[in-house]
Amino acid sequence: MDLTFIFAQFLSGLTYGMVLFLVSAGLSLIFGVMNILNFAHATLWLMGAYFCYTFWNYLHQTLSIALWISIPLAGLVMALIGAFIEIVLIRRIYKRELYEQLLITYALTLILGDLIKIFWGVTDKLIERPEIIQKPVFIFGAPLDSYFIFVNLAGIFVAVALWCFLKFTRYGHIVKAAVYSREMVSALGIPIPKIYTMVFTLGIFIAGFAGGIQAPIGSVTLGMDMSIIIQAFCVVVIGGFGSLIGTFVGSLIVGEVYSFSILYWPDGAMVLIFVITAFILIVRPWGLFGTPTRM
Amino acid sequence: MRKALCMVLGLFIFFMASKSYSAEEYHLGVALSFTGTGALYSAEQMEGIQLAVDEINAKGGFLGNHKIKLFSVDTQTKPDVAVRVVKDLILRDKVKALIADYSSANAVAIKPIAKEYKVLHIAAMSNSENITKVNYSPYTFQVCPNSYMQAKASAIAIAKMAKEKGWKTYVTIASDYEWGRSTQAEAVKFLKELAPQLKLLKEFWPRLGETQFTSYITSIMALKPDFVYGSLASKDNVAWMEQAKAYGFFDKIPYPGSLISVTELMLEAKTLPRGIIGLTRAPFFAHLNNKMMVDFVNNYKAKYNKYPSDWAVMGYDAVYALKQGIEKAKTIDTEKVKDAMKGMTVELTRGKLKFREIDNQLRCSSYIGVVGDDPKYPFPIYKNIIEVKGEDSERPEKEIIEARKAEK
Repeated sequence: MDLTFIFAQFLSGLTYGMVLFLVSAGLSLIFGVMNILNFAHATLWLMGAYFCYTFWNYLHQTLSIALWISIPLAGLVMALIGAFIEIVLIRRIYKRELYEQLLITYALTLILGDLIKIFWGVTDKLIERPEIIQKPVFIFGAPLDSYFIFVNLAGIFVAVALWCFLKFTRYGHIVKAAVYSREMVSALGIPIPKIYTMVFTLGIFIAGFAGGIQAPIGSVTLGMDMSIIIQAFCVVVIGGFGSLIGTFVGSLIVGEVYSFSILYWPDGAMVLIFVITAFILIVRPWGLFGTPTRM
Repeated sequence: MRKALCMVLGLFIFFMASKSYSAEEYHLGVALSFTGTGALYSAEQMEGIQLAVDEINAKGGFLGNHKIKLFSVDTQTKPDVAVRVVKDLILRDKVKALIADYSSANAVAIKPIAKEYKVLHIAAMSNSENITKVNYSPYTFQVCPNSYMQAKASAIAIAKMAKEKGWKTYVTIASDYEWGRSTQAEAVKFLKELAPQLKLLKEFWPRLGETQFTSYITSIMALKPDFVYGSLASKDNVAWMEQAKAYGFFDKIPYPGSLISVTELMLEAKTLPRGIIGLTRAPFFAHLNNKMMVDFVNNYKAKYNKYPSDWAVMGYDAVYALKQGIEKAKTIDTEKVKDAMKGMTVELTRGKLKFREIDNQLRCSSYIGVVGDDPKYPFPIYKNIIEVKGEDSERPEKEIIEARKAEK
């Protein structure tokens, strides 16, 4: 097969991996720091996509950069909603068993799903892309949706920004410390609940931002969250819950495996991802870049 | 005392008499996928059904005195949910007929329940041939061209194009569930018969509800087929079209005969590539020579401030087919209505059409055309429409008999 098309398939996998990373980064961060397995994460991501559509819909007739403003705005609105959810619901279930957290956050998924239906209806929402990202670009002859350049850059930006935050800022150091010993952090006089609210808000901001990025890729529709949440869980299992680099690498693995199996073995695309996930769970339950302390 | 007793007795007799004159309400169930992949089409079909019910109720209801009461439930595009909520409709709400569903997998799951409880079942959107071909139920009727009819109609058009353009190879992309699989299989079979020079390079099966088609798009482009045959519907279809377009896919690879319903024409009015060839099931603009369709479009526009999609047309037709069945039977008794509808010719928005006796499939047309703008509408419509009639695209009765023998 033409090498150009192998490269095109690689680019597809890379882009899909970045989309998955943007969804999974917040999920992994929240679990890593707060030990909360948030099943509603993808629904909050979907809500971000709907908010992006709403902002775009209001702005696009007057502003040529409506889409580029709507994406971060969606993240900000979702951050506020995330903070509200943390204060009202999540902080009450920190000490619950994992299955209880899953049940409660699944209930949240259903509630949010109904709220989306009430506010936005059931009709698909389509964002009309600006002229500049309507045509494909060719990289070494391989076609790529021009918008995906932005998606890939956004994924890299989020990864670098999160890494810098955790590595170089005081809050980042506190968050990292809380992963290993929240008691010790608390003993130093640092208010853990505030840190948790901040982490959850940040996680949901990334989800909302990712939702905004997803919106112009296809149409925004109900049910999108359910199709991506399982893959997001696969990503964090493979990479290791709580590990930023693990989530990044896990996303790329899932994206590339999915992309190339579609080319060579279309029937087995999802099967391969689940086989890898199961294998990791058996031989290295803390994931490729996680640490056994998290288990 | 006696006077009071007489008054009470008089009132009682009056109450009983008046009660006997007010005819029984007709409970009509609607089980559609208001959430999940089918949400988009289901909402539109519900609008068509509601309009038909409102019109009939304004004239007193079925037979002029049986007001229709609608009960709708969400099957969430999931067969297990469909089975549960349809049982609720039958046992709790006592529906006599139900219009169901978006997904063929759901419709196939609902069929035996309708048969068990002797409730009429009209499929007005889900169109897998298996709804009526095998496991026959005399209670199930189909008002939508089935997957066989649609596949044959598009194969006829594609074979013609392949000959004209010298096409040699193709790939298929179809949603990985009952409808996608059966439509794709039929199309491949017909293409083998009608254009034996065509070689199928690969089959792609994205799961139902897929949101990321990028890897499929680049895979197909890598194979460099002469054309692609698609069997994707609803949200999956919209996502596919939008993402493929951003790759310049339609400029390079023809995509003829896939389902592009009026919903997609309206929803993607600005972005849908002009000149692509699509297939659909009940476009209103193909029947504006029929007064019933004209009235329907006007009333629908007045009520919902938009044009009706194929799904709205077929929802509306389903209610009117039932109405005409009841009128023929002269009763709302389900057994008699079912018998009356067998082989019946009905007058619908799509013209005068007959339910085929062997499988209760309406002999309705499939429509193939080129997407193009029309100044009369704020969205593109089909130009140069080829209407493939039901009788030209339906499966021969002999094959249905054989299939039923084989299942035994």
